[in-house]
Amino acid sequence: MVSDSGWSEAPRLRDMTEFRFSNSTCQVEGELVPVAEIALAPGDAVFFEHHVMLWKEPAVPMAAMNTGGGMKRTLGGMPHILSIAQGPGRIAFSRDAAGELVVLPLHPGMELDVREHAFLIGTHSLNYSFVRIKGLTNLLHGGSGMYMDRFITQGYPGLLLLHGYGNVFQKTLQPGEKILIEPGGFLYKDSTVAMNTVQMDIKTGLMRRGMYLAEMSGPGRVGIQSMYVHHGSE
Amino acid sequence: MSMSDAIAYTYTCPYCRMTNNDDGTPTCPRCGAPVDIRLGVSNSGWCKQPPVRDMARIRFSGSTCQISGTYVPVAEMRLHDDDWVYFSHHVLLHADVQIGLESMRMKGGWNRIMAGMPLIMMKAQGPGFVALSADHPGEILALPLEPNQAVDVVEHQFLVATGNIGYQWDKSNIWYTTRNGDDTEWHYPVGKFIDRFIAQGIPGLLLLHAPGNSFVRDLGPGERILVQPGGLIWKDPSVQMFLHFEYPRGKYWFSSARWQAKSIWLTLQGPGRIAIKSVFERPELTGNIVRNSGATTQFW
Repeated sequence: MVSDSGWSEAPRLRDMTEFRFSNSTCQVEGELVPVAEIALAPGDAVFFEHHVMLWKEPAVPMAAMNTGGGMKRTLGGMPHILSIAQGPGRIAFSRDAAGELVVLPLHPGMELDVREHAFLIGTHSLNYSFVRIKGLTNLLHGGSGMYMDRFITQGYPGLLLLHGYGNVFQKTLQPGEKILIEPGGFLYKDSTVAMNTVQMDIKTGLMRRGMYLAEMSGPGRVGIQSMYVHHGSE
Repeated sequence: MSMSDAIAYTYTCPYCRMTNNDDGTPTCPRCGAPVDIRLGVSNSGWCKQPPVRDMARIRFSGSTCQISGTYVPVAEMRLHDDDWVYFSHHVLLHADVQIGLESMRMKGGWNRIMAGMPLIMMKAQGPGFVALSADHPGEILALPLEPNQAVDVVEHQFLVATGNIGYQWDKSNIWYTTRNGDDTEWHYPVGKFIDRFIAQGIPGLLLLHAPGNSFVRDLGPGERILVQPGGLIWKDPSVQMFLHFEYPRGKYWFSSARWQAKSIWLTLQGPGRIAIKSVFERPELTGNIVRNSGATTQFW
């Protein structure tokens, strides 16, 4: 499903859709506020922010994963510690909001930047880090917070599940191609896509002038969500 | 072509009431409503307006609007060089870099600020793509307007309109006051202001966003119906509205019916079309009503 301007909808995962990663399986349940239920095989693990866990079998071992850069993350409003659940056993996750699950299989050598608080789970083969959003204008007016999550695959493929609020759309930008998006609508991008916040010379209120939009420059994929907090007016 | 052939190739959309040539598309080219489903009318006469299908295209002037997504739908406009649309700046989702974006000042600034309405609209001039999202789960309603046709829209439902649609706003004149000690509180159940959109010169397209599901019905001359004040989306200007207070029978240990336990309704009186939504603001508990804009009362 591709719109006239080239945005394709995230594949709508039917209720009870099941797919595999490594030796484990993931089943997506529900459509309005979808749940990802993972049947972890021995030796497999997933990491996540602890508050997205909906339920788990008592025998599934949990561990904490220090993300590094503690004080910076605390100041950036990001969780200092991520949780890891290891197989075997079942565990389920939900972002507790109407939207769509986006399943992003990552091949070896890929880098993906994700808006903070948008990732649901990542498989253990993914390297997790975070990158500071550069530029004062981007920080203050970009609407994406101080940091972006960065997921990198090295020797092995990995799987990343994101939760997008509302509907999720993706567009692949050609080298040098640009598009303006509402900063709150940004969901993910390939690390090759450059993001800059640009100010539009437009009056938006009695005392306000200048609206900020995120300018994305290709090459690479950009994902957006249709429900967001408008950074300029909320 | 014979007359019977002409009839065979046109149809009137039951939702927007516009006559179209049946070119085989599965959706109405004027409002995006599906054409191949049966008109769903409840036993009480409400007609459920089906959501615009994912990726349905609506044509206006030399441009098209494509509705994508289902939970929080996006209206993606492919604007022709000569076409422009206006909208509130916070609904902008993405735009081509070549789209001309500029501000469009509205009259009556102070009153608009006091009413919480956008003071300045944004204008997007073609050519190029611009996409808008109202940022709430719900439906996009497309209202194609013939020249000089007008609709009254409750505030905060507006998404985008084509440049030839005139935008006025006026007091809703639906209010009541309550008193708490020496304080008088004013209540506006359908908002302090109501928007009126009128197509000028050529047909135009108005897009609204309503949370939840939407329903429309026709009211005959003099026919009345009571609706939750927060549930109204739009109405024909010919439809009159006023308040109705209902006081249930019974005694309450914590309060009297006159004080709090009453129902506040909006009476809509035909002729004309009305549209309501299934998600609305919960009515607030209020005190004793002192004055009102004109209402009927029922004690049970």
